[in-house]
Amino acid sequence: MSWLPHTIREHSVVSMFVALQLVLVIWALVAPDSFRYLSASNINVALRAIPPLAIMAMGVGVLMLAGEFDLSVGSNYTFSAVVMASAFNSGLDPFLSVALAILAGTAIGLLNGVVALTFDIPSFIVTLGAMLVWRGGVLYYNGPSSEPFRPEGPFNAVFSDGILLGDIQISAGVFWLLIIGVVLGTLVHLHRYGNHLLAVGGNRNAAVAIGVQPTRTKLIAFAIAGGCAAFAGVLATARIHQAQPGQGGGLELQAIAACVIGGVALTGGRGSVLGMIVGTWLVFTIQDVLLLLRAPGFYLDVFIGAVLVAAVIGNRAVRGRT
Amino acid sequence: MTSPSESFFRLENVSVSYGRYEAVRNLDFEISRGEVVGLLGDNGAGKSTTIKLMSGTERITSGAIYLDGKEVALRSRRDSENCGIETIYQEAALIDQLSIVRNLFLSREIANPIGLLKLGEMRRISREILTNAVSISGIRDPDQEVGTLSGGQKQSVAIARAVYFKRRLLLLDEPTSALSVRETDALLDYVRRLRDEGVASVLVTHNLYHAFEVCDRFVVLSHGRKVLEVDKKDTTLRELTDHVIKM
Repeated sequence: MSWLPHTIREHSVVSMFVALQLVLVIWALVAPDSFRYLSASNINVALRAIPPLAIMAMGVGVLMLAGEFDLSVGSNYTFSAVVMASAFNSGLDPFLSVALAILAGTAIGLLNGVVALTFDIPSFIVTLGAMLVWRGGVLYYNGPSSEPFRPEGPFNAVFSDGILLGDIQISAGVFWLLIIGVVLGTLVHLHRYGNHLLAVGGNRNAAVAIGVQPTRTKLIAFAIAGGCAAFAGVLATARIHQAQPGQGGGLELQAIAACVIGGVALTGGRGSVLGMIVGTWLVFTIQDVLLLLRAPGFYLDVFIGAVLVAAVIGNRAVRGRT
Repeated sequence: MTSPSESFFRLENVSVSYGRYEAVRNLDFEISRGEVVGLLGDNGAGKSTTIKLMSGTERITSGAIYLDGKEVALRSRRDSENCGIETIYQEAALIDQLSIVRNLFLSREIANPIGLLKLGEMRRISREILTNAVSISGIRDPDQEVGTLSGGQKQSVAIARAVYFKRRLLLLDEPTSALSVRETDALLDYVRRLRDEGVASVLVTHNLYHAFEVCDRFVVLSHGRKVLEVDKKDTTLRELTDHVIKM
């Protein structure tokens, strides 16, 4: 379907997403009592739950654009959150604790990159190892108990509560998602770095031949993935007021699935930040609708799995490649 | 034969060895402004290594490289670019997933001080070079993805890059091997046109007909050594073919 304009092809997920939301909204308007999609409580859940996963997905997605993976983002998310909570509990200012957590997460991401690129090992393997290392690291550092995190004052508004509009609580995460989305979207699509990132992910040898530095480009992407994972952990922890050693497990796969559904190519070099956010939102919407319809829990995994595979097939068909 | 005073680019007694194996041995080679040199020889003769050492992707183990009479060190692709050298490979070094405009300016983006791309300006210039400098048939707009282009169109984009960035020397390593007859004609035409504008080219090819059609001078390599250097006016296609085959 090469006749499709470039922008539509790149944003086929976005159009699908908009269509789905329209259907759901109309359904909720027609049957507000049986399908409570537009109820304040449902919207509030969405506004709280989407941002941390979307922020993590954007980090993972930027790295996927470079043709690399980070499976350790779930463990990193937990580890960084525990670092924040314990630093705060030992007397550090809460904002500085956040900075420390992001620093730790970024360092973890960077370390993944250094190991993978120095020893020329697939990042898939390196970060699979890192996933286990940092999962164990949390238990070593903190034990199996959860670490309370109860800062007071403006911190909660900035990192958790956000603002209240009538019945709708626009969580702080929504604003952070917008800020980070704009920053990463600009970096990937409008900045010189993004051009190098997509080039290295698309065809490493050609990019090198043209003069792009692949190591530096990829290391920055690894660091972004780590930093975003940590910040997602910060937001989740600020919301539930504790860092739990088991909270990040499985998130790495959800984040990768969200990116793939959002049109990021597994082979690198193709995808958009908007797609990553929409992919996350779509994953959440599927879960949300199934919960609203009181579907049994295992339906969630089945649906997301099916959508994931369908999305890859759909994206290929739309791009006219096999 | 070109006299040394006219040449702007010169290899002097250059060797490249990998351990005990010498891919290029004591090679002297020079290129004048607007000259097209055919670099010929069988597989393993050292043609590609010669191209690589001139493009900075292979380091010389001994000898020296001179640009405008001054010795230069070509340690990376960037070094060779700074010397005005552009390399075009058989598989054009382009990123399929990126648009033409992004490919044209890759690693030489027009951006503001904080690195934000000036896409409008890049598009305008791309449109200009695509329509004026190298007219590539079938290209609709600079935002078209390179992956949708044919082999010849891709080579044209790579050449457009060389034209825009005002290269003095084009290194073409088997540029026609993936092209259709018509695309090959167009490519050889570009090389001629660039020559008229003063851009020199080194053409590596197995196809002696193509070489004979466009080159002014031929250098034949065998086992890393130069075994023949002859002007086109002093030889025939037959004689050249015999030489290459004999080696």
